[in-house]
This record gives sequence, structure tokens and C-alpha cells, in this order.
Amino acid sequence: MTTYKAQYYPGESKIAKNRKKYMDPSYKLKKLRTISDDDLVKLMGHRVPGEAYKSVHPPLEEMGEPVCPIRELVEPTPGAKAGDRIRYIQFTDSVYFTPLTPYMRAWMGHTRYRGVDIGVLSGRVPLEMRERDLEKVAKELVETEIFDPARCGIRGATVHGHSLRLDENGMMFDALRRFVFDKKTGEVVYVKDQIGVPLDKPISVGKPIKEEELREMTSEYRVDGVPFRQDKEMIEFVQRLHMLRTEAGFDPNKVKGI
Amino acid sequence: MATEKKMFLEALRKKFKESPEEKYTKFYIYDGWKQSKRKQEFVEWGTKLAKERGIPFYNPEMHLGGIPLGQRVLMPYKISQTDIYCEGDDLHFVNNAAMQQMWHDIRRTVIVGLDAAHMVLQKRLGKEVTPETVNHYLEILNHALPGAAVIQEHMVETHPGLVADSYVKVFTGDDELADEIDKRFLIDINKEFPADQAAQLKAAVGKRIYQVLRMPTIVAMTCDGGTMSRWSAMQISMSMVNAYKLMAGEAAIGEFAFAAKHAEVIEMGTLMPWRRARGPNEPGGIPLGYLADMCQASRVKPEDPTWVALEAISMGAVLYDQFWFGSYMSGGVGFTQYATCTYTDNILDDFCYYGADYVKKKYGGFGKAKPSWDLIKDIATEVSLYGLEQYERFPALMETHFGGSQRAAVVAAGAGVAVSLATGNCTAGINGWYLSQLLHKEEMGRLGFYGYDQQDQCGSANSFSYRSDEGLPFNLRGVNYPNYALNVGHQSAHTGIVQAAHSGRGDAWTTNPLIKIAFADKDLKFDFTHPRLCFGKGALREFMPAGERSLIIPSR
Repeated sequence: MTTYKAQYYPGESKIAKNRKKYMDPSYKLKKLRTISDDDLVKLMGHRVPGEAYKSVHPPLEEMGEPVCPIRELVEPTPGAKAGDRIRYIQFTDSVYFTPLTPYMRAWMGHTRYRGVDIGVLSGRVPLEMRERDLEKVAKELVETEIFDPARCGIRGATVHGHSLRLDENGMMFDALRRFVFDKKTGEVVYVKDQIGVPLDKPISVGKPIKEEELREMTSEYRVDGVPFRQDKEMIEFVQRLHMLRTEAGFDPNKVKGI
Repeated sequence: MATEKKMFLEALRKKFKESPEEKYTKFYIYDGWKQSKRKQEFVEWGTKLAKERGIPFYNPEMHLGGIPLGQRVLMPYKISQTDIYCEGDDLHFVNNAAMQQMWHDIRRTVIVGLDAAHMVLQKRLGKEVTPETVNHYLEILNHALPGAAVIQEHMVETHPGLVADSYVKVFTGDDELADEIDKRFLIDINKEFPADQAAQLKAAVGKRIYQVLRMPTIVAMTCDGGTMSRWSAMQISMSMVNAYKLMAGEAAIGEFAFAAKHAEVIEMGTLMPWRRARGPNEPGGIPLGYLADMCQASRVKPEDPTWVALEAISMGAVLYDQFWFGSYMSGGVGFTQYATCTYTDNILDDFCYYGADYVKKKYGGFGKAKPSWDLIKDIATEVSLYGLEQYERFPALMETHFGGSQRAAVVAAGAGVAVSLATGNCTAGINGWYLSQLLHKEEMGRLGFYGYDQQDQCGSANSFSYRSDEGLPFNLRGVNYPNYALNVGHQSAHTGIVQAAHSGRGDAWTTNPLIKIAFADKDLKFDFTHPRLCFGKGALREFMPAGERSLIIPSR
């Protein structure tokens, strides 16, 4: 019997390779910047640094859970064990060569993290988890190569900006102006948390990644980057998927040789 | 060639001061809502009325805790294939009398066959029915339908000045009979339709005769769609009693009432299930093919089936997205911003004409190719990639359709319309739409929002399905079809996908010839031959609707 090896994604282009790479949990995301634990907690705005985690139920150990084979199979995450609230971090990713697109952000989250609930919209991706688990994951999401300070935004509400042109500093639009470009340092600085509450002190998330580098890192096909038309394997994969779904919906017996 | 000119460029140049190809701009410098004349007007009225009513009212400073709308350009919109520019606010149906009237004209219409009543009169009661008696009956009903008495001796009635848009007309496929009907009451198929379409329609209607009844707009505004067949049935029955000198209450009257209320009635929309509970003649029950038939673009410009489909799409956007999903189902005001994408700035027009040109060049014209996998894959992929590439080439275009669902709807509409045009088969067209959605999702790595994407990820599987829980011929689907019940941003284009298949092959109607004829009526307030132009007039405040109330209220 052959061993199953996950392929993660079809396609033969650089974009397809980046998609595979980000989704493959054995690939270690490159760390590009450091955000302190406290600053990250402030950016998310769910609790004050140092404050105890609020809980929605007693620790699982104290709850006397029923005998259940699923519970035996699945090890609870630390946040679930402790009974933490479910909290969120939400990202907006510009259409201009950001490392992750919304679906990539979701698929990557599902292949890399446990206990995560991710939604996908064109302009934002909410990621919900038990609070202490979230803080751990959020750190990787903000500190590594999948985050560009100028073209990715941490935004709880009034998220819009993904499809708008960039400002004169190359920053994505944000009606709440949660982040600003510091011309002196060349860094992007958050002055409000993700929901728009002003921060006591600005928090730097580092320098924007240069566009030429983003073009290498991006997982988005674009006609002015790597055009989708050129990835024939990718197009044929989608067409085949559509044909199989269509034929199965009409008459499942028609579908053969999958 | 439309495809070389890029139909949307002119609008993009008016919307933004930078070149449409420019990727960078400035934000936060536009003085918020003050950049918009319409918002300024809203503030002026809001301030004045807040004082008058003593309750806080419209105040844009409440937005986002003091960060008002307009941190970026509040762009104007061009109504596609017109010279009209307006503000987005002018396209909300509350602010647009033409949109209101389109809906009212649909809701206040029922079609009722006359043949059953004539059979009762002749066979059961031994009465004579002739063109003269029919004309006499129609004159009585034109008195009664707006709300007047015909057989009672002490009765309240409606003020004619308030109900002047209410009347009855008839049509038939029988030229001889039509000749004998008083022209004031006749929808003349020969006159209203091009000869080939008239021949198709007359053959479909045959010798039968149908009444088209328009209840008063003010009734449509104050009651619901279920009112209409009741209102018409009551006035029809009373007029029959008067015209044919019948006994009020004799057993045969029950048969007139049954025919007028049920057996011979064609509602514009069907009843909806409890979870979306509405009566007949409400937007949710109107099938895609019925709405396409209400649109009359096909009889004034049949040589351009792409334009015909685009006009039908605009009606779908307003009726299904703005009225139904935007208000009946969701509440709030957000859906207008979204739904306008299919009928503004010539963007969908550009994508559709690109697809039409591609079909003409590669498949030798419209309705000439049989549906096949090769064709659907070829056309839907080409048009989808073309559309996506335009958004990527022109950042101003991407910013115009700033929501992913807008882009997904417009790109897939281009693909679906093109497949429909090529094949004359709207089921193939909708399958092309779903392929487009899947391609779009993988290309951009994003599509619409949760609820938007869900429909399209399972759409391939139900496009050819006829199983009872998920299948229906595409013409008969609509927002009452289970998978489309949350389907905002889709049904506008779906209307066009139905329309394109039929106008591409020269059909006079898509689904119901009676509906097509019923709306070929110059006395309707809304111009169903040019819906986009009409919406534009509404936006410019140049459209005069029905539903007059000034006669019964104090003057300002």
C-alpha cells in the first residue's frame, strides 16, 4: 500500500508553488519581525496585557465530561482545557501582491493550526480560537513572511481596503487609519487596535516588504505578475472539478474514473 | 469594436482624477461627506427635520465615532449605456421613483383569461358574447377596476385623480378578433412587436383572449401583492354582472369569481413558503424567466441580444437584489451599493460584448452551437479571464467594484451570458457562470463573502440537476429556488443569462408569452423597453411616478 502524501494544491507556476508551501505545515514560515507578546495582545484588544484570561466554562478537568471516543481521540488545545473565551484576529489582505489571499489564509490556517474557526470574505478573514491559543497563532501570523505591514491589515471592523489603490506611501486604505507610515523610521505603526480603539503607545510592525520581494512571495495570480492563463494545469484542474461536480449533480452514474 | 475601446474607461475617468491604470492615489483628504452634493443635501434636511421633530436624525458625524463617510473618493456612477451620471444614493430605491414604479407596475399586474367566463355565459346561461359585448364589458371594467361601483346603489368609491393609472386591456392571438376590439382596450401584438416576434406570440396565444389588469399604484403601495388578484377578481365579477345583466348572487357568479380569482389568473409571482412567507405578486416569487419577459428590450432592439440581456439584468438587480434581498430579506440599505455593479459604468457591458464578439468570431454567431463541455469550458474560461484581467490592469476598475461579490457577479455574468448567446441554452449559460466562479476563486484566491461563495461552490452540481429539492429548469428558478434563497448578487445576472439564450436565438419571449405581451404596454408608467434609462431618469429626479397623494393631503 502506498503512503498518502498530501499535495496541498495543484498548478505548476510560482504562485501555485507558493500556495503549496504556505499550506504545507512541514514548511517553516520565515520570521521577518518581532512583536512583543504584550504588543500583540494590545493590537488585538481583547484583554489588557497581564490580565487573566476570561473563561466561559470551568477547566475541562473539573467538568466531569462524559465517556466519549471522540474526546479520547482529540486532545483539547490549552485554551479549550482552560475554558477560555473564543476571541478573534481578523486580517485584510490587499489585492496588490500580498503573501496570502483570503482563501490561502483559511486553507493555511486549517492545515497548520488546531481548534481554529476561519471565515473567508473577499476583503477580510476572521480567525477565531480560544484566547490563549489565538495569541500563539497570531504571533506567527504577524511576525512571519505571510504578513506585509503595508498591504495586510489587522482589522476587526470597517475592514475595507483590499481592492483599493494604494496610498502615496504604498499603504492599503483604512478608513479608521489604524496604521500609519512613519516616514522617519520607514516603519508601519499601529495607533489603534484592530477594532479602532486608540492605543496608549504606537506599536511598530516593521518596514513594508519591497514590491519586488512581494511579487516573489505572493500567492495571488495577477495579469501584471504571474497570469493565471499561464498555469494550464491549474485551469484544467478547475475545469475538471467543475465538470465532475456538474455530471454528478445530473447523474452520479455518469461520473467514472475519478 | 467594443472590446478594443474598453467601454468602462470613460466612466473611470469621470470617477477618479488619476488615470485608470494608476495604482497609487491619496486618501483622507476629501473632506468626508462634504465632497458629495447629495450627502450635503441629506445633512441640510436632516438638520432641519431634527429640529422640527425634536428627535435626533440624520447626522453623518455619528458614523464610526466621528469618522464620516468619504475618507476616499465618493465616486459618481454612470448608468450603463446612457449619458447619465448620478451619485450612489440616487440608486437606492427609496431615492429613486423609477425603481419604485418598476416594482409597482409589476406588482399591480395580473393577467386573467376571459375564455372561461365567456364559456359560462354562453353555455350555462345562454347569453350571447360578441366583440361588442366584450367592448362594453371592458368599458365598464375600466370604470370599476380603479375602485368604482357598478351595481350597488350606495357605495364609497376612489378619487379618479388618485387611481388614474388603473385600467384593463386585452390581447389575443386572433387577428380577426383583435380587429373588432376597441383600440383603447387592445394590446396590439402586431403593432408592438417586430413581425417575426408577433407571429411567434400570436401562435402561442391562439384564439384565446386575456385581460391585463393594472390595479392602482396607490393600492400596490399600501397593500401587498396578494391583494391584486382579489381586487381584480371583485371588480371583474361585478363588471360581468353589470355588462351581461346577471343576477347578483346566482350560482353562475361563483364560477366567474372562481375563474377570476383562480382558474384563469396568472400572477406575476407565486406564493412563497413559510420561511420566506409572502403572498403572490411579491418579488421573491417571480421566476427569472418571468422577469426577463417583463423586460421589453427584446422588442425594440432585437438585433442586439447582448444589450437586451443587459437591460433585463438591470431589472433583476433592482427587483431581486435591491428590493427583495436588500429589504424584504435582510433589511438595511447596504445592498444597493453592491447591486449597482451590474448596471453602472459600462463594466458588465464591456465584459458581455467581449464575450459576444468572441462567440461571433469563434462560433459563427448566436444560438448556432450545441452545448458541449468543450464550448462551455472555452467560452466561460476566456470571458472570465478577460474580466479578471481588466480588474488587474485597471486599478480604478478594481476600486469601482470594491467588493469581491461585485467582481464575482460581473465576471460570471459575462461568462454566463456569452455561453447563453452561443448556445441559446440558458442551462448551459448558468453552468458557465459556475465554472467562472470556481476559476475566479482560484485565480484571485478570493471571491465574495461567506454566503455568496457557498451558493457558487455547490452551483456546478445543481446546474443540470432536476431533482425535486434542487432542480428546476433554469427559466423557472428565482429567489424562491432553495439554493438561491440567499443568493444576493446573482439573480440579476441570472435574469440576463435566461434572456441572452432566448434573444440570442431570436425568440419573442423566454418563458411565458402572456407576460411578454402584458408588458408591451405604452400606458405603463415605467418604461420596460429601456429600464436603465428609466432608472437614470429616476436618479436625476426626472421620472414622474404614479401613486399621487397630493389631492388628499395639505399642500406644502
